[in-house]
Amino acid sequence: MTTALTTMSAKKPQAGVDLLRIVRINEQIKRVVGVSFKINIMALNAIFLAKRAGTAARGFGVLSNELRVFSQDLRTCMESLTGLIHACVNEVSVVLQDNRLANLFDRAAELAPQHPALLAVLQRRSVEDEKHALHLTKLRRQLKRALEDAFQMVELGGVLAKSAKIEAAYGQSFAASLAQVSGEFDGVVEEIRGSLESLRRSPFFAGN
Amino acid sequence: MKTTKTIFQDGNHKWVAIVRDPQKPNFIIDTNEYLVTHGGKGLVLDPGGVEIFPAVFSALSAEFDPSALTGVFASHQDPDICSSLALWLEFNPGMRCYISNLWVTFIPHFGGTAETFIPIPDEGLDISLEGLMLKAIPAHYLHSSGNFHLYDKVAKILFSGDVGAALLPASMDGLFVEDFDAHIRHAEGFHKRWMGSNEAKRRWCERVGQMDIDMLCPQHGAIYRGADVERFINWFDQLQVGIVSA
Repeated sequence: MTTALTTMSAKKPQAGVDLLRIVRINEQIKRVVGVSFKINIMALNAIFLAKRAGTAARGFGVLSNELRVFSQDLRTCMESLTGLIHACVNEVSVVLQDNRLANLFDRAAELAPQHPALLAVLQRRSVEDEKHALHLTKLRRQLKRALEDAFQMVELGGVLAKSAKIEAAYGQSFAASLAQVSGEFDGVVEEIRGSLESLRRSPFFAGN
Repeated sequence: MKTTKTIFQDGNHKWVAIVRDPQKPNFIIDTNEYLVTHGGKGLVLDPGGVEIFPAVFSALSAEFDPSALTGVFASHQDPDICSSLALWLEFNPGMRCYISNLWVTFIPHFGGTAETFIPIPDEGLDISLEGLMLKAIPAHYLHSSGNFHLYDKVAKILFSGDVGAALLPASMDGLFVEDFDAHIRHAEGFHKRWMGSNEAKRRWCERVGQMDIDMLCPQHGAIYRGADVERFINWFDQLQVGIVSA
């Protein structure tokens, strides 16, 4: 029992740190969700602009459509990331609350050792603690995978934005406007990529 | 760790005060918990806040098997009264919590299930502890709007929650009031500020004044016994409460 208690105590500060890290990840994801919504509007405007430009911007129009699909896919992806993050926040909050109570039971056990019912409570808590740790590990892996998927998607978005920049050059009298729109696309996709890269580096994923 | 003092005993019928923890941080108000036992079963009165659970649990278990606790009596809803409830219930899920019906949907925020709570109606309730009848006495608005004290007719003890409480300096750590005049100075400010209704106070004094009481046990400070019980009731009756300088 002493071993179980020591293990439990060692994990205590980790839950608070994890919660802080998850909250930061969540903030970053909220930012990406906001930006992906912006791409959707930008893509719509680009589609209208390409239509006005006619045959000279046909290629640009195709890419704008693809970017719009990309922004929608990205939003769906971010929604699943948000769901996973919420599950992580919930799990770590439970662990945090449990740790506080476990700490109080630890202290009670130190002051009133050998009480069999109290030892049973501590044992039960230890089992629950293991369950929470396993669940959190699973969520952490799922989140990491979902983040990798999002990153791959953004790589594709980057290629689309760069292709749109090239296509803009063929836009004749609309070339300047198309270049401006495609430049904005590229900027926004880079912003998302930067956010996702920093998310991948979060120490939260360094745990089990 | 807190110390336990048996303040009444007649066979297996006991009142134990759980008091004064030297290790308790100063920023947490000092509280008294009480254990009533009868026929091998026990009831904890105002079991205390979550932070002091280890000290209360260990002191209590040194005196009595905590597995034999049947319940908790909570005079009202404050955190220093029963925020430890979840821990007691985790230890013994069969425990019941007696509390004013005003608070039965609020206290589950501290812990418990729908089965845990036994609501006490405004007029009070008889609570049986292995055949010993304890009475939940109305003390509404003193200070909480749904507030009860617990009377043991056999032991002639009234657990009076925050009524009679005194915020004593460290030098006055005795279990019983020894010098009423010196003691009551530390109770005056508390009662003026915390007790909200002169009308409620009047009714309580009338009701309690008719009861046969040897000891009046508050949740903070020292216990009144003998003539000091009546002295306190008279003092409280004269005191104007619900006063704030702001």
